[in-house]
Parts: sequence; structure tokens; C-alpha cells
Amino acid sequence: MIIAAAPLILAAAAGFAFAFRKRLNVVGPFSLMSIVAAFTLVSAMPADLTGALLDLELRVTDLGRLASLVILATLFLLVIDVWLDEPAYNFFPTALAVGATALGVLVVTAPLAIFGLLVLGLLVPVGSFTFQVQRNRSVDAASRHFSFVALGGCLGLSALALSASLPHEQPANTFVLLVVVLVVAFALLLAAIPFHTHAALLASEVPAAALALYFGVLVPTTFIAFAEILTLSGLLPAIVQVVKVQDLLHGIGLVSAVGGAFLASGAPDLRRLVVYSVISNLGAALVGMATLSGPGIIGALASVIVTGTSASGQLLAAGTLERRSGPDRPTARHAPMAALAFVVGGFAMIGAPPLLGFPGRFFMELIAYQFAPLTGAALVVATLLLIVGQLRAVVALFGAGLERWTIESRPVAGVIGAVIFIALLIGGIQPAGFLRPIASFAEEFLKALRPL
Amino acid sequence: MIALGIVALATLAANGSRQLRYSAFALLGVSLAANAVSAGQLTMWELAVEGCGALVAFGVLYVAARDRTYGEDPGWRLWVATVVAAAATAACFATLRTASSELVTVPLIGEDPSGVTAQVAAFWLISSGIAILVTARTPVRGSLGALLMVTGVELLVRLLNVPQLGLTLLLAWIQAVIGLAGAFLIVNERVVREA
Repeated sequence: MIIAAAPLILAAAAGFAFAFRKRLNVVGPFSLMSIVAAFTLVSAMPADLTGALLDLELRVTDLGRLASLVILATLFLLVIDVWLDEPAYNFFPTALAVGATALGVLVVTAPLAIFGLLVLGLLVPVGSFTFQVQRNRSVDAASRHFSFVALGGCLGLSALALSASLPHEQPANTFVLLVVVLVVAFALLLAAIPFHTHAALLASEVPAAALALYFGVLVPTTFIAFAEILTLSGLLPAIVQVVKVQDLLHGIGLVSAVGGAFLASGAPDLRRLVVYSVISNLGAALVGMATLSGPGIIGALASVIVTGTSASGQLLAAGTLERRSGPDRPTARHAPMAALAFVVGGFAMIGAPPLLGFPGRFFMELIAYQFAPLTGAALVVATLLLIVGQLRAVVALFGAGLERWTIESRPVAGVIGAVIFIALLIGGIQPAGFLRPIASFAEEFLKALRPL
Repeated sequence: MIALGIVALATLAANGSRQLRYSAFALLGVSLAANAVSAGQLTMWELAVEGCGALVAFGVLYVAARDRTYGEDPGWRLWVATVVAAAATAACFATLRTASSELVTVPLIGEDPSGVTAQVAAFWLISSGIAILVTARTPVRGSLGALLMVTGVELLVRLLNVPQLGLTLLLAWIQAVIGLAGAFLIVNERVVREA
């Protein structure tokens, strides 16, 4: 029960926050306190602690604890931003509910339960995606998101339920078919395909904080859940035996990595740049995972976690810049701190050293080269295109120059960007503490790949 | 077998209805018949939990409709969804059948211990749901497709030989949240349309 305490606290807090959602001065601090309480509980929990809730087995893993702490810290920053700078009363219960499901995903051990919690978490933000519905297409964006999640969620749950009930004497092709359905289900949930229409629509129509909640918290959680489900479901040996599944993962990954980076390099606005960069990084991470090697898995997970955090910072900064600029094109003149936060977030997004994004990207590209030189080259090209996209954003923000350096009156996004940058810098200088829990998961993954 | 027939007919009714309220009633019928198909596999508490999920989904969709006339005309989508669902159900049953391959008897009334009826109903609901969801123009049919799919998933999960309470509760929550999110989108979409 103690293992489930943090997600249960957040779930209960989400109910309370929903009841008092229109009192911003109550619900804001309350949400922050709930997140701090959950953070304390997760930090105090020893690794490998096991337990049960109802009849579901729970376990605290090193990776689960690391990811939970990062997710809670990101949620804390998002809630601060919305409370102080971008009031949106639907956001607080949504953020707490998303936190509860994300933490649940990271402690539950049954693949079906992991997937079910993930689907719940991905459905909840529908409430915070829609705003000022008569002025924009946010309802359309939320509807598409809803359809993709429902479709991917039900396909994935069905594939897992069938694979768990299949007798072992089934032909290998049946397992392969189920793995393919599972991969497609995750591709639908992750928006990992760059030409995913709902990702582009979400990027342009929904509030920046809701977008940060999705791309900063839910997308990394979905990717980690994918890795965990593959490990726990017993489907990995089928992937090794049939190369086609590995090729499918590679294919989706490469298309996302290069396609996402290509779109990011020509992105018409800041939000789309961030969203396409996340899609590109997700694709690269899929390629890393598809190598089915230790460095590939470590690189993939490390990269996805850092991508989520930096995307949150960049999206909040982009939201602030848009609000301060009004109908004009966003530039640093309107909000210099937020512009600076956007630029330093971009460093983390492209995996520039000495930030924490570097080790993950380095591992992925190295192992991709070893796997196939063409794949490695494609990932390097993707990184170069991302650099082009981020540099274009720097030019757009600072190109006109700053007449006078006046910090905006309430530089919330700027401060949040600075906090994220410092955390990533410290992590980059001392990466062992961050990479060790991921390495311990990679070991479990490799054991599940070739069971004795 | 009779329950399976009711599932099929109620799905067609939900799919063919032009009014959201009638679709919601048909969905409730699908859920009740699906529970009857596999009642033997769950305890009373687990059945009650799933029933609650279905009731919440029905209730919120009913309220979201606001009046009897609101809905989405399926038009040609009804036939496409039905044909695709029928073909996909047969294909899924042929390739992914996990129920016992020994000789099975399917009783007209009462339990089906082999699970064949439940699996056919699950494949039918999931394929119908996908066909409806993919061809939906508005959240009305989107929610309908999603709820049919979840009901199918519930049937598949019941066939697993694992403790069910936690999973049942989780699936009931998913059903309720899909109903709530769908209703929220329906209400907002109507605001946009009527503006």
C-alpha cells in the first residue's frame, strides 16, 4: 500500500482540485503541496520494494523512481507557471490526475495494468486541451487526440490480453502479429509518426501549458511504459526471432527521427519547432531501442526523459512569448527572459554537451552506427536538422536585436527555464547518478530478451 | 448464444442510430449483454464494478445529448462499419483465437465455459468500434466507437486466467473516463456548431 501512496495522494488531490478548480489561489498552492508530498514519498521509498494493491502487484524500480521524480519535478514547474502566469482552472486537476496515472504506470508490474493506466492518463488532458472553442480549433484537436488514444489504447490492450491468453504452441506468426499491433498502438499513442495530423493540430491550437503536460510528461511516460511492457509481457523473444518486427521499429523510428527533424528545421512557429523536435527525438529513441542493445536502450530512455523536461521548458517559454507579443511575431524584445529560456531549452533538446541530453544522444548515435552505418548517418542528419531549426528560432527571437534589456515584469517561464537548464547542467557534469537506474533497467530488458 | 445475438443487434442499433440518446441506450444494452456472455468468469463485485462503468458512460452521454434529436447521421458509414466489422471478426477469430481448440459446444442459453462466444463478441465489438471510430466525423460517433471497443477489451480480459478485480476496476475507469471525455467533446463541439 505504501508504494501506491504517492499516486493515490495525487489522485485524491485531483478530485479535490476539480471541486475547487475555479479558486486559483486555493487550487494552485494545494496542487503544489500535493506534488511536494508525492515527491517526498517517492524519494523516501527504497528500490526493489514490492507490494500489492487489490490484486495488482507493485514494485519500485530504480528507473521507476528516477522517472517519477523527474515527472513530479516537471509537474511542479508546470503548475507554478499556470498558477502565476497563465491561469487556466482546468489545468490543476488534469495535471494531478496525469501525475497519479504516470506514477501508477511506473510502479505497476502487470503489462495490462500499465497500459490501462497509461490510456487513462492520456485521456485526461482532453479537458485542458479545449479553450476558447469559438476562436480556435482546439475542440477538433482534442477530438483527434481522443480518437487516437482510444484507438491505440484499445488495440494495445487487446493485443496484450490476447498474447497473455495464447497457448504456447501457437505459431510464431501469431505472436509477431500481436507485437506488430502493439507497436502500432504505441505509435498511435506516442504521436511518433511525424505526419501524425493530431500532433500538428495540437501544437497550434491548444494552450502551451497543456501542450507541455502532454509532450513533457505523458510522452516520456508512454515511451517508458512501452519499454516496460515489452520487458514484462514476454513478447521480446518473439521480436528477436523475427527480424521483421525489429525492422518495423527501425522503420518507424527512422521516419520519425528524420521526418520530425526535417519538419522542425522549417517549422513556422516556436511551438511546432518544439513538437517536431520531440517527435524527432522519440524516433531516434525508437531506433536506439530497436537495436536491442544495452547502450541503445540506455540512450533511448535517457534521451526521452531529458527531451520531456526540455520540451516543457521550451513550450512554457513559447507560450509566454506568444502572450507577451500579442498579434505580433514573438521576439526577445517582448520577453527577453522567456526567449533566453527557449534558447537554452533548445541546447538540451539537441543533446548539446555538457548538458544531460548529450550522453543519451551519444549512445544512440554510436550504437546506431554500429548497427548499420546508414542508420547512424540518418540520426546524425536528424540532429543537424534539429540544430538548424533551433538556430532559426534564435535568429527569429534575437535577430532584430534588443534595444534595451528590460526583464519582463513576471519572468516565470524565464526562471523555470533557468531551473531546468541548471538541473540539466548539473546532471550533465555528473551523469552517473542519472544513467545508473536506466542501466539497471536495460539489464532487465536484455535478460527478458533472451530468457534462460 | 442468445446474449451474443443481443450484443450484435445492440451494436447495430447503436451504430445505425441518428440520435445520441438512442445510441447511449443501445450501448447500455451492449454492455449488459456482454456481461451476460461472460457472467461466469467474474464475481458479483467485479460485475458490479463493470456495470457501474457502463452506467456512468451511458449517463454522461445521455445528459450530454441535451435533447432527443441531437446526434450524427451515420449515412453510408453504417454499412461500411458493419461490413468491415463482420469481415474483421471472422479474420480475427481465424488467426487470433485463443479459446480451447478442442470440440466446443455453444449453449443457446447459459454459460459458455470454452469462451468462444465471449471471444467472438469481443472481436465483433472491437472491429465495429474501430470501423465507427475511424469513419466518425464528430465526437458523437467517436465516443460510440471508443466505448464499443472498451467493452470488447473487457470481454477479452475476462478470458485471462489471472486475478481480475484490479483489471476490472481499471477498465471500468477507462470506460467512465472515455464517456466523460467524449461527453465533454460533444458539448464543446455543439457550442462551436451552434455559434
